[in-house]
Amino acid sequence: MTTPAAIHAALRGDNALPLRPASQVMDLERLGAMHQSRLSFMRTLIRKIMRERWQISPALFELDNDGYGTVVYEIQAPHGLFSFVLFSDYLAPEERNDRVIATKWDLTMALVDGKVDADYVEQLRQNVPKQEAGRVDARVFVLSRANRSARNFDYVVDQLASGKQPDVDRIAQVGYLYRTTAVYGSGKLGMADWEKVQSRWPDFARPFAAEMFVCLMLRNFSLLQAEHIARHRSPDTFVEMEPEIKRYFGIGNSTGLGMAPYLVNHPLLINQWVEMRELALARVRVLGSVDSRVQQQLQALIERSATHTRQIITEDEWQTQNNVQVLKDLDALHQQAGQPLENWDALIQWSEEHCSLQGQELLVSILLELYPELVNDLEDYCSAEEFLDLDPLMTVSTLKAVIENRYDWALNLDFGESGAREIFWYRSEEKMEPRLGNALEEDGKEKQMALGVGYAVRKCYDQLSEYVAEHPDHSTARFMVARPKLRGIVRRIQSMNRCLYGDIQANLLHRDVLPMHLLRAKLAFFGVSKFDPRSKLWVRNTMFQGAPLLEDIGKTFNDDWFMPLAPQSSTKQSAE
Amino acid sequence: MHISMNELKASLRRCFEASGYFVGNYEDAANMILWLEKHGLNGLGELERALDYIDVDRDKPLSTVVYEDSTSAIIDSNGRSALNCIAASVDLAHAKALEVGIATVTVHNCHNRMFILKALTDCGRRGISVAAYWQNGSDTVTEHTAAIKAGARYPSYSEATTSLKPSDDDRQALTIICSSRVDLTTSLQRSEGNRNARHVSAEQVAQNKEHSVDQGIDIDEALWARINKIGEGVLVENSERSRQGAGGR
Repeated sequence: MTTPAAIHAALRGDNALPLRPASQVMDLERLGAMHQSRLSFMRTLIRKIMRERWQISPALFELDNDGYGTVVYEIQAPHGLFSFVLFSDYLAPEERNDRVIATKWDLTMALVDGKVDADYVEQLRQNVPKQEAGRVDARVFVLSRANRSARNFDYVVDQLASGKQPDVDRIAQVGYLYRTTAVYGSGKLGMADWEKVQSRWPDFARPFAAEMFVCLMLRNFSLLQAEHIARHRSPDTFVEMEPEIKRYFGIGNSTGLGMAPYLVNHPLLINQWVEMRELALARVRVLGSVDSRVQQQLQALIERSATHTRQIITEDEWQTQNNVQVLKDLDALHQQAGQPLENWDALIQWSEEHCSLQGQELLVSILLELYPELVNDLEDYCSAEEFLDLDPLMTVSTLKAVIENRYDWALNLDFGESGAREIFWYRSEEKMEPRLGNALEEDGKEKQMALGVGYAVRKCYDQLSEYVAEHPDHSTARFMVARPKLRGIVRRIQSMNRCLYGDIQANLLHRDVLPMHLLRAKLAFFGVSKFDPRSKLWVRNTMFQGAPLLEDIGKTFNDDWFMPLAPQSSTKQSAE
Repeated sequence: MHISMNELKASLRRCFEASGYFVGNYEDAANMILWLEKHGLNGLGELERALDYIDVDRDKPLSTVVYEDSTSAIIDSNGRSALNCIAASVDLAHAKALEVGIATVTVHNCHNRMFILKALTDCGRRGISVAAYWQNGSDTVTEHTAAIKAGARYPSYSEATTSLKPSDDDRQALTIICSSRVDLTTSLQRSEGNRNARHVSAEQVAQNKEHSVDQGIDIDEALWARINKIGEGVLVENSERSRQGAGGR
């Protein structure tokens, strides 16, 4: 088992492991090229549930023949008992909308501490289906909603009702029955704050563990509901879905711009996630022994990743080209990895010279997959105390040097160039939805969110340089009294200077900025797959595809659902 | 009504951002109010008193350093609220204490000084001890003190109503003592004429926090509506064009 001291020693000082530099890792395009990995939150949650054999069973099951009604599951985890409460309501097709601004959904749900009685369920029923328009109390710690993928859902029900299994090729096109369109936690709408979740409920004390768990429960319910409707529609011919096909159903997710400000506003947390991933890679580089068994495993994972990538369906031209490139990269990696290898350094270096960023980052995820014993224990170190503290004693001359050293990427940007500050990020009057505006064409720039970290650093540096010329020995505290408007950015610069990786290196105000990279980075940390951008600003994806089912809890578990494959394809492959 | 701490913080941030507070300051202001309320020290009551004046500070001069040497400084806050200037004064005391062991900063013309408690707590967490003392009131004078030990997570706080006459010299003043060498603790003396004395220990402050973590925050609906109404100032009007800016089809 690792310890904070061991992690610290591996990251800093004489005995530190060889980590990739911040200039490489924090580049936005590279962050946007990341894939799910062994440290992704869905993977760590499933490992926990399977290892601890959580007991999850229905406590209330009141669905009519069409699948509408109320369901409550009780979850017995090692440190507590929780209830997952779900409401299924009729939704007219024309009312189905994945945007934040929607007001009705097919399914709404809540994760609650303890058992729920009829009165409490009724109280939830008055509020949970309203989502943002409702209120809950601090027993609730996640709220979510989901919309049906109508074509897929009806097809699956029809098949099961008529005694047939769903066609796997068809599922491969849309690998889910429902899409969740928002998953709220951290105190929204009156819920328990993260501080409560983290301190009172150890079973969910990792970032986004409770949110991911709700998505897992939703995935389970979606399968159960489809079977329930089919069984009632045609009891004589109905068949249950085969477990292998069931496992290939994930839960869909639509993610929009809302995630982008999160990454900028939680830099210490994001740095922590990146540090753990990079530490895992560094451990593999130095400690991961290479033998023929591991090399075989590597080849198998490269092949699996290629098959997975071929099974991604997207209409988006940009993503299609990315996937084509990844397939080329994987093909080249397959050949390269067939050569005799002494360690991973050479292969990583080769990938950096010959593969796209997506290919390079996929290799990183694959390498982490090979060494659970070097990687898994880092899952307990993905939280961070988010204090952006000022270092009041630092001299202004040192502060200037820190900016030159850690924010050279920002100082190298030309904010006077055309388009460099053309984009502004703002909150709309409509449900405070985060949006992007073009400063040349739209009003509202004066109300923009402070996401232009690079530009703020530049402005700070210019004012600081003038100040340093006059008062080179002044402390930062003294500078802050004189220039209080710079307090936010100075505090951020000093805090991120204490981190290994620091801020995301990009100008988010540039007209060519691709917010998709931000969304993709966070979703990769969550562990989603099958990215399907629907525009520059929002992306559909699949969660928990290939993950164990609830009925698999308590059975053997090999933690091997990385880059899941359509069941037929895996059968075909093993036959070949 | 019942709200979470995170909801309160987010709404307060929007409220202060809309009122002209700059980046860094609107987070500080929100955190100072939340901190008091979360720890049972009536942050929302203090906010209500401050809210009427929330946007007047944007036209006032910034704080100025009137006097400074290696162990002390005097800062004139020019009538500003502690919400947007006191953290910088505490930081200055902090820096001087790190350099010389113990330092004093006196702040003049600063309103809402109770909000200093969050800034004191940040110092304690980071290994510096701080004490603060101030008087308040134009008719009846109350006196207040708070202190935190180095490395502690919670300060103590004392208050009492005095029989002192208001003094023009002392009005809106605050004294901060900060040390990297000495653990400072404070309590009010049993001065003649003092009444309504209250001492809240660091342990009680910690207990109050546990309650807020479990239950969240209760807030008057009218105050909640007022905070949110002011915060609407950061929202941009909705339009068909802007809907496209969310990537919708």
